[in-house]
Amino acid sequence: MLTVNERIEVMTDPNNVWAILSNPHEVVHCVEGAELGQQLDDGSFDATMTVKFGPAKVAFNANVLLTLEPASLSGEVSGRGKDTKGGTKFRTTMRFKVENGANPDQSAIAITAEVEISGRLASMIETGASLVIKRMTASFTQALAKRCSTGQIT
Amino acid sequence: MKVYQRLSQAFKAEGTTNVFGMMGDGNMYWQHENYKNGIVMHEVRHEGAGLGMADGWARVTRQPGVATATCGPGVTQLATALVTAARASSPLVAFCGEYPVSDDEYTQRLDQAAFAHGCEAAFVRMATPDAADDAVRKAFYIARLESRPVMLSVPMDLQQKDWDDDEPYRPSTSLLPTAVVQPHPLLVEQAADMICKAKKPIILAGRGAMWSNAGDAVRALAKRTGALIATSLMAKAWLAEDEYHIGISGTYATRTAMHLCEESDCVIAIGASLNRYTTEHGYLYPNAKFIHIDSKPHVMMSGGRGAELYVQADGRSGVEAIEAELNKREFQQTGFRNGEVKERLANAWEDRREYPLEPGTLDPRQVCLALDELIPTDISLFSGSGSTAGFTNILFRKPRPMVLPGHFFGCIGQMMPAAIGAIIAKGMKPAILLDGDASTMMHIGEFETMVRYKVPLLIFVMNNQCLGAEYYKLDAHNMDKETSVISTPDLGAVATAFGGRGCIARTVDEVKKATAQWLANPGPMIIDVRVSRSVVTLPYRRIHYGEDE
Repeated sequence: MLTVNERIEVMTDPNNVWAILSNPHEVVHCVEGAELGQQLDDGSFDATMTVKFGPAKVAFNANVLLTLEPASLSGEVSGRGKDTKGGTKFRTTMRFKVENGANPDQSAIAITAEVEISGRLASMIETGASLVIKRMTASFTQALAKRCSTGQIT
Repeated sequence: MKVYQRLSQAFKAEGTTNVFGMMGDGNMYWQHENYKNGIVMHEVRHEGAGLGMADGWARVTRQPGVATATCGPGVTQLATALVTAARASSPLVAFCGEYPVSDDEYTQRLDQAAFAHGCEAAFVRMATPDAADDAVRKAFYIARLESRPVMLSVPMDLQQKDWDDDEPYRPSTSLLPTAVVQPHPLLVEQAADMICKAKKPIILAGRGAMWSNAGDAVRALAKRTGALIATSLMAKAWLAEDEYHIGISGTYATRTAMHLCEESDCVIAIGASLNRYTTEHGYLYPNAKFIHIDSKPHVMMSGGRGAELYVQADGRSGVEAIEAELNKREFQQTGFRNGEVKERLANAWEDRREYPLEPGTLDPRQVCLALDELIPTDISLFSGSGSTAGFTNILFRKPRPMVLPGHFFGCIGQMMPAAIGAIIAKGMKPAILLDGDASTMMHIGEFETMVRYKVPLLIFVMNNQCLGAEYYKLDAHNMDKETSVISTPDLGAVATAFGGRGCIARTVDEVKKATAQWLANPGPMIIDVRVSRSVVTLPYRRIHYGEDE
């Protein structure tokens, strides 16, 4: 189990940030290699994600659920899936909370994520997997900060 | 005649010419008779090393290697080498003494059947004196048929009983089938159908392809279908002279090779097990369908999967049949064989990443590249397991009479014995071994065996004075990697003390100079090459540091 704790500062007010974070399409847009599919009856989404472990690419099919708590400007993204070869599974939970920044036009996003990879790939990539996930998290927070700072919602 | 004498005769009749092992009271009478029967005995310093030598013999001859150990403590020394031989699918018979049937409290008693089972070896016990012929025949029969090690366990007291049967010994070869497994015509047609639909095929050759002499057939099929050629680790450098050869498929692949594998839509695997390393659990070929040719009834690929089409056939026969079918259909395509791919392959083996080197150490990559260039191609190459393999298995690219990497059972220290056995099997032709310092130290006593038998093996110890695999894992986990550091003495001086030749080398010129001296007069020699710990192998960069290189 890999745990990631991040806090990112963005140059826009909390309401704008919340508008982006409460939109699953916006969130997934910030994840490199990820695409959101159809929404299911239970509110969750089908999704696909391609991850590069070294030179090898691994494609995952996943189910993603976004749960929001507007009153506290917080939420949770939970996802689970397996690769298209069926040998590797992952499970992840990301909790986020939008907080006030140093100024009224600034915000902070506190993110805690847990990722678990099991199956064949786990034995193949050993410690490299955690570094790949850390890099992906960094890439995600960077993209999210940029997205929030532009204030644009697609 | 005594039973031990008959046992020796039976081994001789099975084709045994050389035995590797250590004498003890459980096998000494048999060994003594072997001398009289003209069987050459190679006395080693550790029973496990002796079995490793028999394993090396078997790997290069495909005939049963023969090892021996005395009962109890002699047998337990065989453990790691026995499992290694089992994983290598080496046909091998280990003649082991067993405690006397008349003495249940014998000090050296051991449940040798349970031990053999735990070490993945077959077990045959001579239960009565009259069963001597049957026991030897059964041991060799299993070794040959199933291509695996067999422990022949013979109670000491039964060896001393009388043998009064004068019937000639009937060897196991008289029982074994000799016909080559031919492919079913319908499966050949289906294979041709799949190949005709593929745009980017890769031929993945394993040991089965080599052993069946499928080289010409593979080259013809590759040319016709536009296929790249890759090998398993165990067939390393086979057909490497082909300009569209991408090297090893799997853990030791270059980045370029991995990208080409990803593009492939059809893998034609010949005599390869397609294990987790060769296919990276299947992730290396995400877009490919598999045609799998092997002489076994079926081979399960990594992850419990099967090929889309399995063709049971001898490697050469299978490829020739498919090639003939494609010829009948007048099928021909460029596939991967074009200028763009050739250009990508031209620099595929370059590793330009720079690392700061500790003073007095060499970049191991430079050493490998210099040696592959310097060592004539009529000299065979052996390479050990462990972190050093990440350099040698990628950077030595030239085809040689024997190229034998060690990876079975993932253990270190097993390649020096295997190299000694293989060299003896092939008429004492000179060879080199590249291995790590911990590997070499594990069986350094066998260098003395090399000296006694004048084995023309030059050992390059890629000495980074640490347990390499652990060093990088600890580093990746942000733990104290220095806990894996172990100093070694000057191993060149150790070699000299054992009566061989040796030196320490801290520059590429020193490596080259010492190598030239060995080339002029091959014999037992160690060059202790001091290499840097800071240079990380490509596989470790991917596995431990998640890097895309």
